[in-house]
Amino acid sequence: MTKPKGITTDNLRKLPAALAAKGYAVFAPVKERDLVLFTEVRDGARMHLDEINTRKSIKEFFFPSSECVLKYSRTENGFETHDPSTASRKAVIIGARGCDAASLAAMDALFTWDYNDAFYLERRKNTTVVSIACNRADETCFCTSVGGDPHSTTGSDIVLSATEAGYMAEVLTEKGAQLVAAAGELFNDEPGAPKPYAHLPKKFDLEKVKPWLEKNFESTLWDEISYKCLACGVCTYLCPNCHCFDIQDEATRSCGVRVKNWDGCQFPLFTKHTSGHNPRPTQGARWRQRIEHKFRYYVDKFGCVSCVGCGRCIRHCPVNMNIADHLRRIAENDVPAK
Amino acid sequence: MTENPPTGTNLYKPYVMRVADMRDETVDVRTLRLEFANADEGKAFEFKAGQFGLYSVFGEGEAAFCIASSPTRKGHIECTFRQAGRVTRALRELNVGDAMGFRGPYGNVFPIDDWKGKSLLFVAGGIALPPLRCLIWNCLDRRDEFKDVTILYGARTVGDLVYKHELAEWNGRSDVKLIQTVDPGGETPDWAGKIGFVPTVLEESNPKADGTIAVVCGPPIMIKFTMPVLEKAGFAPENVFTTLENRMKCGLGKCGRCNVGPVYVCKEGPVFTLAQLKGLPAEF
Repeated sequence: MTKPKGITTDNLRKLPAALAAKGYAVFAPVKERDLVLFTEVRDGARMHLDEINTRKSIKEFFFPSSECVLKYSRTENGFETHDPSTASRKAVIIGARGCDAASLAAMDALFTWDYNDAFYLERRKNTTVVSIACNRADETCFCTSVGGDPHSTTGSDIVLSATEAGYMAEVLTEKGAQLVAAAGELFNDEPGAPKPYAHLPKKFDLEKVKPWLEKNFESTLWDEISYKCLACGVCTYLCPNCHCFDIQDEATRSCGVRVKNWDGCQFPLFTKHTSGHNPRPTQGARWRQRIEHKFRYYVDKFGCVSCVGCGRCIRHCPVNMNIADHLRRIAENDVPAK
Repeated sequence: MTENPPTGTNLYKPYVMRVADMRDETVDVRTLRLEFANADEGKAFEFKAGQFGLYSVFGEGEAAFCIASSPTRKGHIECTFRQAGRVTRALRELNVGDAMGFRGPYGNVFPIDDWKGKSLLFVAGGIALPPLRCLIWNCLDRRDEFKDVTILYGARTVGDLVYKHELAEWNGRSDVKLIQTVDPGGETPDWAGKIGFVPTVLEESNPKADGTIAVVCGPPIMIKFTMPVLEKAGFAPENVFTTLENRMKCGLGKCGRCNVGPVYVCKEGPVFTLAQLKGLPAEF
């Protein structure tokens, strides 16, 4: 890794315009009313970098909520199919948190499992991730409990850490180096000393979770912890690692598209057969799937959990479901008596 | 092992197929014979018994069914389905000559080569005969590699039996023993087969476990009562195969819908041994 660079606070505000001039589409957190979302910016003054985290994760830059995967049209003697363009524009995300950047490892594993999903991979190739390390956390953050860190570098092309003068910039990949080069004179060679990173004690012992999950599929815990779940899907949609999807056709008589849309295992219809049979008929069974899939099956398949501890599912659940607390109870075998 | 379909790098792009022929098996079950609109794609297409595909009507969507024809018969594929929902209704509205889509082959395969020299016992119920029909014809096209071949097939009523003309063909062969049955009350006056539920008729037929591979496919209730009969007769769980159905969408291990415990039915299945099934949670 090359020596860290530095960038002043003022120059960071000039970065979007400089990169846009070089052909990047620049996305950064922008606050409108109470909502902080990644938005395309050219004016760096709009960037709002103080929030614990954005409402939505960076997932949709690589795996959009709805994406056309096929076009077809009626011809004289049938139908013909066309590929939609998979080429996405060169993009940079400034201001992702380390948790969001780290989520890409688990997503990469799935989207390249035996079959390579060109839609996802093209976006990955064309997107540079500049994350900003965390100096504070809130009560729903739990990255350290799942192997993450407020100063995580996994998945980032550049990691910025706040300093007195601005930020230290660790340039970690070739894409990161290309971005620094495109930014002209905005980066300097004075990284400065990073301010203290957030201190986030672990909330549960991850090592104890998978062994418990392997032995307690039929536990009474599942119904207890999920009884208030509304199956609204907020946890699924905001999670950087949730990736279940549906494929649907939308068409007129003469032409149409086939689209990949976000879906979720928390919805009752997700597994329901046309015959009416539903392998997961209760919310307890569905919540169990969420935890077993993220913390056991994914580990068996891909060697990592499908969670980065960003805390969005806890922060935004309308009924205060708290997966970190569930995992703590699992690790401590704190289960209701039968 | 599955390979990338040769339709390019778009995983979700189907082959364009043409309906070459159709046959109504029952009042609500139809078989479509499909040919590839692009003859070169048709020549290059290969699959193995056990694999499935996503069949689609452009504008209506995709549905997952087995490939019901045998891989030994080239130039076309067949699917058999019951009209039940949006896509199957649209499939039934297709006429001979119409275009539709097919993505595949996906999933794992019956390990036929491992069965050489053994006897084969096929047990199927109702609409679950199609995935076994592919396998049965595949085995019959290599008949001299196996010892005895027994097929036990039942449905609720005579009207629900599918592939009736093929059943007659199998019945007529001297190298196949076919037992047909309908549920009590499902017989017609001229019914010459057995009357009884499939698990009961299976037990009465006294299946021999020694040197035999059993392949079972049927609705969950039939599987539930058939497996114990086979185990009681001495079949080892590694020698009993089934093919699972589950709600599917992508067919290639990404959309998450068919995930059952640590497996994806579309990737590590749909063919499973009873030994493997025992290790899965009852979420299918």
